[in-house]
Amino acid sequence: MRVTTMLPEIQYDMQQSQQNLSTALQQVSTGLRVNQPSDDPSASANMVKSQAESANVDQYTKNVSTLVPQMQTADAAISSVVTELNSAITDGTAGASGTDTAAQRQGLATQVASILTTVVAQANATYAGAYIFGGSESSSPPFVAASTTYTSASTTLDSTTNSTATTLTPGSVTTIGDATTGQTWSYTAGASNTVADLVTAINGAASSGKISSNITASASTGQLSITTGDTAKGIAVTSDDKSLGSMSATTGTSVANAYAYVGNTAVNSVQVGDSLSVATNVPGSTLFTSGTNVIGSLSKLVTALQSGTSTDISTATNAISTAASNLDEQRVPLDNTITQLDSQESYLSQETITLTSQQTALVGISTATSATNLTQAELDNEAVLAAAGKVTSKTLLDYLR
Amino acid sequence: MSLSTSLSIAVQSLSAASGELQVTNNNIANANTTGYTRQVAVLQEVAPTADGTISPGNGVELTGYQSVRDELLQTQINDETTSQSSANAQLSSLNSIQPTFTTSTNDIGTEMSAVFSKLSSLSTDATNSTSRQAVLTAAQNLSTAFNTASNTLTTQQSGLNTQVSQDVDQINELSSQIAALNPQIAVLKASGQDGGNLEDQQSALVTKLSALTNVSVTQTKTGMTVTTGSGTTLVQGSHTYSLSTKSVTGTDGTTSVDVVDQTGADITTNLTSGDLGGTIKTRDTTIPALSAKLNALANQFAGAINTAQESGTDQNGAKGAALYNSGTSGGAITAANITMATTDPAAIAASSDGSTGGTGNLAKLSAVQTSLLGSSTASSTVQPAASLNETPGDAYASLVYQVGSLTSNANSESTATTASLKQLNTQLSSVSGVSIDEESANLITYQTAYEAAARVVSTIQSLFSTLITMGTNAAS
Repeated sequence: MRVTTMLPEIQYDMQQSQQNLSTALQQVSTGLRVNQPSDDPSASANMVKSQAESANVDQYTKNVSTLVPQMQTADAAISSVVTELNSAITDGTAGASGTDTAAQRQGLATQVASILTTVVAQANATYAGAYIFGGSESSSPPFVAASTTYTSASTTLDSTTNSTATTLTPGSVTTIGDATTGQTWSYTAGASNTVADLVTAINGAASSGKISSNITASASTGQLSITTGDTAKGIAVTSDDKSLGSMSATTGTSVANAYAYVGNTAVNSVQVGDSLSVATNVPGSTLFTSGTNVIGSLSKLVTALQSGTSTDISTATNAISTAASNLDEQRVPLDNTITQLDSQESYLSQETITLTSQQTALVGISTATSATNLTQAELDNEAVLAAAGKVTSKTLLDYLR
Repeated sequence: MSLSTSLSIAVQSLSAASGELQVTNNNIANANTTGYTRQVAVLQEVAPTADGTISPGNGVELTGYQSVRDELLQTQINDETTSQSSANAQLSSLNSIQPTFTTSTNDIGTEMSAVFSKLSSLSTDATNSTSRQAVLTAAQNLSTAFNTASNTLTTQQSGLNTQVSQDVDQINELSSQIAALNPQIAVLKASGQDGGNLEDQQSALVTKLSALTNVSVTQTKTGMTVTTGSGTTLVQGSHTYSLSTKSVTGTDGTTSVDVVDQTGADITTNLTSGDLGGTIKTRDTTIPALSAKLNALANQFAGAINTAQESGTDQNGAKGAALYNSGTSGGAITAANITMATTDPAAIAASSDGSTGGTGNLAKLSAVQTSLLGSSTASSTVQPAASLNETPGDAYASLVYQVGSLTSNANSESTATTASLKQLNTQLSSVSGVSIDEESANLITYQTAYEAAARVVSTIQSLFSTLITMGTNAAS
């Protein structure tokens, strides 16, 4: 084959070695083997998925560190309530002994009343500005002092026609907490529900035992009114329905030492792993008003100390005892969750390391390898240039005289 | 057999040798001219004339110059040039598109992850306004990322429209230059001569034309006929058949520049190779496929989020409303128009039961990350494309793969054709290239031949003097 000129060959070789040098340099400075999708399309695609997983793991870790102190706050609140209850039991036992005078029993009643206030304050504990024992109602206190009668702020519900025909805001929730029984009942307005429907529902709940049977609702006078009809029995009512305005207690109808729960029973859960969610709260009703009814039993003890017999005081004290041990048990699932979160934290930090290694394996290149590649590329380049210099210099004309 | 016959033979050799020197000179001068094929002098022995019983030769005749060509190699080079240009055109566009899909702090994949991270963060406290705002900001960043990616693709497409027009103009220019050379070459060939450097010029023009689109070349009496691969004539004899362009608006409202032949027929889809073909392929096939997938992802992701929103209640207790819409343009949500429907942090429908602190619906919003995207209608979105049936993350990953793989293939094609072209060019230069060393050696040969012929002339001249002075006093 005739060889006419070697320049195109030399140019091509120089271009190739320059290209290799450039790639090696990029790999050294970025530490990455794959700098754009075309370098390795499937590694790039897998990298996208791996990074999404890393972002999730990071978030789970953050969630765990947010939740642990929140749950520890709840645990501490419950623990201090138990301490208070034990103190009330001491007072109640003293009062039931029969050796105290009426005045002494009054003194004990005052003490227990003060314990009740402290317990309610604990039940209304907050963490980072949100109430932790209200279920998912976290922006207002879940435990409210009870009154016998609540009325709507709006006193002219649909003044043109019948007030009971006023439409409620769909999705709005009206809640009634019964201080006597510790029950909580709520009504969610649907589309085209009216005040009449709300009234019917309340009265129906009373007659079917969902709330105390003495509770009645009416709205014929242009104002929604809910009442227990008994000065010793209190309720608390809240509503976020703008048609009603806010529900408030009628002045002078408050019931002493009575508190009702106006939160809900929702349990929020937070994901802390790809397939692990934890419950983040215990509703206040579960802890303090339903079943053994911590708050109710304290109220009863106050009443019994004030005006009851030794038997009444004894019964009330036993009720508090039962409530205290049940409450103590409620701490167990909470503590278990905190432990679970701690071990999840260790698992997540291990996951983070695993994912990082995976990503390095996909697209990274070790400094040692890339530096070696660079040195090799530089040597190759020098060799090509030296060879080019050697071969291009001579033609026959240099040798002809 | 006379002295004058000898003289004329010697003179003919002088002329032949000087012709050879001239061609060598020309070769050396054009050693680096692109497309130059080396020429050789064609010498022929002159027919002997009978002189009694002896038939002495009549010397040498320089019949012409011959270019040393290889038509087959030239055709192969043209074909390879076409492939290389096509690959390079596609590679250039794809390299511009790639950075949008490379992992960074604000590519679609990262922003999508951020949305889900912030939703998860919100689930620890649904009333926290900072957390709510963070979700909105993340959602906004994602819609911006979609807009940017879509914009990159659209900008590329309009750039390619300009490229098509430029290529067509260049094709026409080259065609008319080729056509102008045809009659001149025809005249040369008619008189039995080689096309010489006119043919070289024409050949170089055809190679340039091959870079733009694939052509086939046939030689006829009137010269070179050039047609595109699909049969549209560009050059015939001295006539040029120009291509032109026209603007066409597609169903999605984008305009593209189509190529039209001299009869007005649209030949865009027939142009499949060369720079023009590669550009058209990228503009009409590659980019629309990527856009379609990107739009489907934006549309179905927004639809899934909006559906999840509408199954919950917001912080004000109202039923959740759509988080994304298509903005003022209305119609279906696409990657180009996706925008936030609200800037109110309270609008995030975290709650499932109307309570302010509820997080029951956040589970549905978060579930979008792990559920398969599908065509479902939700509020103001109308789903145009088939269900992706992948999770959002997987859909984006496969888009990244598509872009990477297309670019990588174009890159390999470009590298392979470049190496192949180099090989072919080396072979062609082996046949047609000028070797300075060879020409230098030839110079010596022809110089010697010239000197020898000149020596013969001067010998004959002295013989003539002897002849003329024969029988006179001067002869002694």
